[in-house]
Amino acid sequence: MSTEIREKGAWPASEQQPLAVEMREITKTWPGVVADDRVHFDVRKGEIHALIGENGAGKSTLMNILYGLLHADSGTISINGQPAQIRGPRDAIALGIGMVHQHFMLIPVLTVGENIVLGREPVTNGDFYDRSGASQRIHDISSRYGLSIDPNTRTGDLPVGLQQRVEILKVLYRGADILILDEPTGVLTPQETQDLFVVLRELVKQGKTIIFISHKLREVLEISDRVTVLRRGKVIGTVPTKETSEEQLARMMVGRDVLLRVDKQPAKPGQVALRVEHLNVKNERDLPAVRDLSLELRSGEILGIAGVEGNGQSELVEALAGTRPVASGHIWVGDKEITNSGARKTRKAGMGHIPEDRRGTGLVLNYSIADNMIFGRQRDTAFSWRGFVLLLSSIFSWAKRLIAQYDVRTPSAETPARALSGGNQQKVIVARELGSQPRVLLASQPTRGVDIGAIEFIHRQLVAQRDTGAAILLVSAELEEIRSLSDRIAVLYEGQIVSMESPEVSEERLGLLMTGGGTRTAQG
Amino acid sequence: MNAVLQILGLFFTAGLWQLALELGALLLLPALGGTISERSGVVNIAMEGMMLTGAFTAVVTDLVWHNALLATLAAAISGGLMALIHAVVSIRFRADQIISGFAINIFAFGLTTFLIDKMTNFQGAAHVPQAYTLPVITVPVLSNIPFLGQVLFQQNIMVYVALALLVGMNIMLFRTRLGLRIRAVGEHPQAADTAGINVYTLRYGAVIASGLLSGLGGAFLSIGINNVFLPNMTDGAGYIALAAMIFGKWKPFGAFVACMIFGIGEAIYANNSTIHISQYLLNTLPYILTIVVLAAFVGKSAAPAADGLPYEPGVE
Amino acid sequence: MTTPATSQRRPQAPIAPEIPERIQRVGKALVAPLASVLFAFAVGAIIILFSGGNPIEAYQGLFCGGLGVFCTGDTYGSVAAPYRISETLVFTTPLILTGFSVAIAFRAGLFNIGGEGQLIMGAISSAVVGIHFATWPGWLLLPATLLAGILGGAVWGGIVGVLKAYTGAHEVVTTIMLNYVAIFFLQYLVTGGPLQLPGQTQVSPPIGVGANLPKLFPQAAQVFGLPGSVYRVHTGIFIALICAGIFYFLLMRTTLGYEIRAVGQSQRAARYAGVSAQRTIVKTMLIAGAFAGLAGAIQTTGIYHNLPIGYQNDTTGFDAIGVALLGQNSAIGVILSAILFAALHVGSSVMQSNAGVPASLVAMLQGLILFSIAANFLRSMKLRLPALRQAPVGTAPLPPGVAAIETEMDSSAELDTDVKA
Repeated sequence: MSTEIREKGAWPASEQQPLAVEMREITKTWPGVVADDRVHFDVRKGEIHALIGENGAGKSTLMNILYGLLHADSGTISINGQPAQIRGPRDAIALGIGMVHQHFMLIPVLTVGENIVLGREPVTNGDFYDRSGASQRIHDISSRYGLSIDPNTRTGDLPVGLQQRVEILKVLYRGADILILDEPTGVLTPQETQDLFVVLRELVKQGKTIIFISHKLREVLEISDRVTVLRRGKVIGTVPTKETSEEQLARMMVGRDVLLRVDKQPAKPGQVALRVEHLNVKNERDLPAVRDLSLELRSGEILGIAGVEGNGQSELVEALAGTRPVASGHIWVGDKEITNSGARKTRKAGMGHIPEDRRGTGLVLNYSIADNMIFGRQRDTAFSWRGFVLLLSSIFSWAKRLIAQYDVRTPSAETPARALSGGNQQKVIVARELGSQPRVLLASQPTRGVDIGAIEFIHRQLVAQRDTGAAILLVSAELEEIRSLSDRIAVLYEGQIVSMESPEVSEERLGLLMTGGGTRTAQG
Repeated sequence: MNAVLQILGLFFTAGLWQLALELGALLLLPALGGTISERSGVVNIAMEGMMLTGAFTAVVTDLVWHNALLATLAAAISGGLMALIHAVVSIRFRADQIISGFAINIFAFGLTTFLIDKMTNFQGAAHVPQAYTLPVITVPVLSNIPFLGQVLFQQNIMVYVALALLVGMNIMLFRTRLGLRIRAVGEHPQAADTAGINVYTLRYGAVIASGLLSGLGGAFLSIGINNVFLPNMTDGAGYIALAAMIFGKWKPFGAFVACMIFGIGEAIYANNSTIHISQYLLNTLPYILTIVVLAAFVGKSAAPAADGLPYEPGVE
Repeated sequence: MTTPATSQRRPQAPIAPEIPERIQRVGKALVAPLASVLFAFAVGAIIILFSGGNPIEAYQGLFCGGLGVFCTGDTYGSVAAPYRISETLVFTTPLILTGFSVAIAFRAGLFNIGGEGQLIMGAISSAVVGIHFATWPGWLLLPATLLAGILGGAVWGGIVGVLKAYTGAHEVVTTIMLNYVAIFFLQYLVTGGPLQLPGQTQVSPPIGVGANLPKLFPQAAQVFGLPGSVYRVHTGIFIALICAGIFYFLLMRTTLGYEIRAVGQSQRAARYAGVSAQRTIVKTMLIAGAFAGLAGAIQTTGIYHNLPIGYQNDTTGFDAIGVALLGQNSAIGVILSAILFAALHVGSSVMQSNAGVPASLVAMLQGLILFSIAANFLRSMKLRLPALRQAPVGTAPLPPGVAAIETEMDSSAELDTDVKA
């Protein structure tokens, strides 16, 4: 068994437990990149083992290997002391491994029951799907673990918290003893997160082993027994949770002390740059997403929008940017009304927009960087003759200036955006949107999925832009980002601003407000 | 005005409905093929080529072995082999499935024409004697029912086969474990894969099944209805079946309704000799109707969510 | 085509200056089409062998008959090369134009199988104008006739665009349906319909003489040892080449082209950039139809000088799909592959009569070319044979910035799955 050298006596209770998972010398390379580099990873039976690291550290790759979705280039895996060949999820399931993915693996058009039993469906008369048999078994499991659910609902109609419950039931239905949860709290409200933790503790009590992937240190400290830290594909260390601290884990994750605070002067708000009155916006399913929302944003300030994802942030930003119809209400940039005037006119009125979806919305991946640098402004007279013929030399000199100014690492301006790393792709967008000196900037998840260096760079640029008089509306799922960048914080709940807070507000209070004052039951 | 009345009059003749059902069944076979393939997430516009291959194989086999049943089996298998190419190219090599399907159609046209030219020394046609063709089954007693008897119980054996496959396909897709899995793979292959379902096996199976069904359709055409193989004799039937599948919102019975509409259109056309409007103009009607129905009633949302998207494990 | 490996080009490494990078790209662009043509010919050779033919003789026939090269030996020594080249150019012209029709639609993410229908509508419209205003002088009649063809095709393509943009009807199905409608409409017109030449079967009256495109060679003189009248090649080929310039300029140098390419990548991105995907789709299909319609008009004014029923066996609009794909939807590429496809088409009859290999071999070759382009076998081989690559790619720390830190999601997601938006 494990002969790794560790400080003895650190966690005597679980020390005695045998190993449920042993991963040895796991290496996985993508063309040009090492995702996991000779990784050792042990999990003891009956523990909650957190696996943490930045985006791209190799956590998901490692767990996808354990679950058989990916194949390691080299290395060995043992489950419960037995060497295991995991060629696919079926092997993993047979070994008692189950995985709850970050992006739910649920089929919206099927029922909850069908989703849970998929792959191990009860049948009658040969191959006929046994609906009542499935319901019965699901009922048995859900009552055993206290996870009630209606198996006949269409899965796509459930709120996020319940969809995650379906995922967990799926794993339990397959008889998993080792549960991998990949970023399970990313989409949950603080209340739902607490509910989840109750479930996890119950599962451990009943003998399950849990691997908990996260980059949220507080949650890790709250729920786990041990923590393994990955950085750039390498194991930095495994520590018992009781003996570590947030600061130590953060250092291990990024290799240096993180600047939790962004260096900035107090805001000097000027005139109103963006005014929104009684705005109503509908979502894809034609349900109200933003409800009677009014706000004022002044030049020289950053207004952060805090809220659990799915409370109307995306719809709000898209309506402001002119890419989503406004059902009723008014939007002004300065004294120019831009309600429902489309993205082009809105941008002309001085609105910049860093969209939340970088690859699908903010960039055309097959375009060159130069072409991407004018994306949205292609008909401006600066870049095209009367809006018809592109002025290639102006486009190139503009692009080269921005590449230098915003430190985009690229071989040339002709390189397709597809070839850049995530951080550099985001820098292209930031450069483009800030480079035109917008009056108002909508920054939606501006640092999602980029490396720490790029995060710091983008934060500095946003603050600098504020200091030159831009009004910035910041939407982010990271409360830390909201709190450290914003001059004011608006809490969005079910499409309405329920409170205006100062950046000194406690995370607990924000969490409470984000969930509707904590009075409501868990909903997505 | 007179023409309209004449057409309406046709609807009261059993002959029109008998022919409509026969032609509808001919389209139904490839339409069912398209349905199962696309339900598994592989776009298939290759029914035309697979049908043509089946039609050719049926005639050649029948001429050699004088056995319609064997010829039909061979036709199905040849369609399945064509489908296998589409499956390999679009599943294994993750090609654009529309281009691959289109390539099948051109390739099948080239191959069958090439071979028939070689075999008949550039005559370009091979006739099958009536004796070796697929028989018309007249069901005793039932076929004596006035009107309905002629429509439902005096049909080519392949009409009954097609209707049985229709029912079977519907049960399979919506009542069985296999159907649940096929639909899961077509909606969200990652989810199915993580649940331990083999995405590739099911997709290969579904695409090959579409070839078998289209090959059957080809046999029906060349040794059931026409008794001859001619180059490009399908003349777009596979494409009409594709339209019928979409028209029917990727459901077997929906496709059947659409096939019957085309069948009726074709049957009116065939009975048209007494009507005084251009048969060519009349012939455009089913196509225009399809466009109108597509535009007016069928939303994009009806298609399986992962239809046309290649699957690669471990990628979200 | 980009794999994450290219993202590892390090800034500090000697960066190739821009021109070599461009040449590199051209080289890369040529590899896949050439390989697919070779692949098709190789498989075709096997099929010929199995059917008892001689592949070398067959391919010699294709090239001699299509391009006037390798016309030697007993079998092909008597083939008149200049005449064959003239015929190939006659077929190249509409292929280039319909190729652009398909290509511009591909650039917007649309699959235009309707080139044939659009071509036929172009031929019909131009014939109607050419016949109806037959007495107009040539300087007026010829442009009017061509313009009518452009409009006829544009309308037919525009219908597809409108249906796609505003109702979501899939263009593959609507274009196929409209092809049939166009063919039946043509048959109706010249078979008992208003355009039938009285006393003749299935053909229209001739268009006005003024609408005839000039031939390339004097008809009365001897040219290359044959009477000039046997050479059908006409000035339409120059119109096609001018259109190549228009196609390139439109796509790469105008905001409309920029927006068409954006819509082809991702409709959400287009909306973000203030581009109406719906309007762009309609515009694209109007332009696509216009190119194909012009092809039809050129057939009317350059070749037939009337409206024959023969279009029911025409496959130009379908061949154009292969032309566009093999030409990678670029101006030069479309011209080159149009020449290849035309040469195959023209050469196939020589091959059939002299080598006894059925002309339909060409359809098989086209299918095989399409398979191999669609599957991109070359790329797949590289991806799937890790042994060919260096085992573990250097474990040195990645340079900041260029380090593809996001590879958990990105590196293997290099399928162009943006189509789903």
